[in-house]
Amino acid sequence: MNSTVVSFFSQFEFFNDAVKSLSETLGFNTYAAVSLLVFLVAATVLTIVCATIGGLGTYAERKISADIQARVGPNRVGPYGLLQPLADALKLLTKEDIFPANADKFMFYLAPFLCVLGVFTTLAVLPVSSGLTLTHLNVGVFYIIAVSSLVGVGVFLGGYASNSKWSMLGGMRGASQIISYEVPITISIIAIVVLSGGMSFEKIVSSQGGLPHQWFIFHNPFTFIGFFIFFVSGLAETNRAPFDLPEAESELVSGYHTEYTGMRFALFALAEYVEIFVLCAVASTLFLGGYQLPLPETIVSKMPAAAVQLWQTVIFFIKALALYYVVIWVRWTLPRIRVDRLMSICWKVLTPFAIFNLIGVSIWMVVFKGESLLKIIFH
Amino acid sequence: MFIWVLFLISALLILGTSVAALVTKNIMHSCIYLLGTLLGISGLYITLNADFVAVTQIMVYVGGIVILMLFAVMLTGGKEFVSKGQQLLGLAPLMGSKSTYVFGLFGALVFGGIFAKLISYIVKLPIDSTEQKIQSTVESIGKLLITDHVLAFELSSVLLLGALVGSAIIARPRRES
Repeated sequence: MNSTVVSFFSQFEFFNDAVKSLSETLGFNTYAAVSLLVFLVAATVLTIVCATIGGLGTYAERKISADIQARVGPNRVGPYGLLQPLADALKLLTKEDIFPANADKFMFYLAPFLCVLGVFTTLAVLPVSSGLTLTHLNVGVFYIIAVSSLVGVGVFLGGYASNSKWSMLGGMRGASQIISYEVPITISIIAIVVLSGGMSFEKIVSSQGGLPHQWFIFHNPFTFIGFFIFFVSGLAETNRAPFDLPEAESELVSGYHTEYTGMRFALFALAEYVEIFVLCAVASTLFLGGYQLPLPETIVSKMPAAAVQLWQTVIFFIKALALYYVVIWVRWTLPRIRVDRLMSICWKVLTPFAIFNLIGVSIWMVVFKGESLLKIIFH
Repeated sequence: MFIWVLFLISALLILGTSVAALVTKNIMHSCIYLLGTLLGISGLYITLNADFVAVTQIMVYVGGIVILMLFAVMLTGGKEFVSKGQQLLGLAPLMGSKSTYVFGLFGALVFGGIFAKLISYIVKLPIDSTEQKIQSTVESIGKLLITDHVLAFELSSVLLLGALVGSAIIARPRRES
């Protein structure tokens, strides 16, 4: 049985009492109805929070890039320009919805929604905290890899349906890049699954600790390399610089979303920024201890449950947003890579190293019975 | 119960998109409708308690096969396969046209029916009913793959490796000596 946000609440007396009294007044078992309501509310809240993070991501991107290039950045709308995403959204809403004359209407309209669908369905297993996650699916990591491949279909369709050479090239690059970089990502995730013995995020997080020396990144030398393979491939998977070839503005105008205007363009941008957040969240969960509090077990067990959940959420967002900063930092530091180098990095460097890591981790599990390197040295 | 609602949604998705994939005159659109059919089939697997197979279905078909088909159609000239005749479902609904209202009414009826089914299930629950447990199949599949079916597993991996090496040899640029 997967643990969900409902099964977390049903541990408490007040939830069970409320369900019981509601059942008695209405005359039927309201557990299912209340579960449905809790899921609806939780899913809505998580979607809104992540969409806001996506919107503020554009602000952060512009502010941090301004900082790196010694400029000021957006500073007119609201305090420190914080309302800039809202102003952008209003502007995009009022834009004319341009449709290229020879484009394929059905696919042209469908593409941005496929991108958004692929990204927002991954939020269902996003491990925000031990209780407040929508569901700790037993196949959690695998599910994220699977549904995020819908983004590749969306990118490709967006490029194909626009009936423009730039979009076409961008879409083809995007699809080939996303499919290729799925290989090293999946193999480096399998190494972590071997270490933790389960594919659900709950299992992966609980087999790590809160303090840095208990994280999987410092577990053994192979996972240390594995983190960087995962992160670099993730950058390519989300079309971020230095791998932003699908939208290389110096050669392809804007790549697969060249022909899109207004809210359709905004949906592509939103999908991209939320996908980066999901990537950072997954990286921090797999390698950096996830939502675990950096405190000894004895202190955590004495804290009230609500406080634990709250602090776990805070820790999760701190870790994910710190990685988000690194992603933006990388974009404004490194130049774009050439398209043939992109493929040779994937297939000649990252994939062999990922396979080597997987074999290394498997041998480590057999030889050292899954003990971490630091524990072996200092024990 | 929720499983029945999920079954209804997946079955309707499969029926609708597979009929659309057959009827449409544009082969690219046909591929897109096939995507919906494959997603619906993964929903059916979930109703059968096969969580691992459901996710594998999305992983293999949506992430691999459909993109491969789209690429194949595009590289062989996707535009040439569009026939010029009257399209049954090719009329994408526009705002305020007749087809919008027809599509909207149909969609509202379908979702209203599913919602009514859900509500009627919830209201009829007896007070002392308990939740149905769903068990994960990942561990048992893993164990079976490396014990009972290890020969088939290894043979299929050899087959896939052969396909990979063969495609690499075909795609390799030839050096003129």
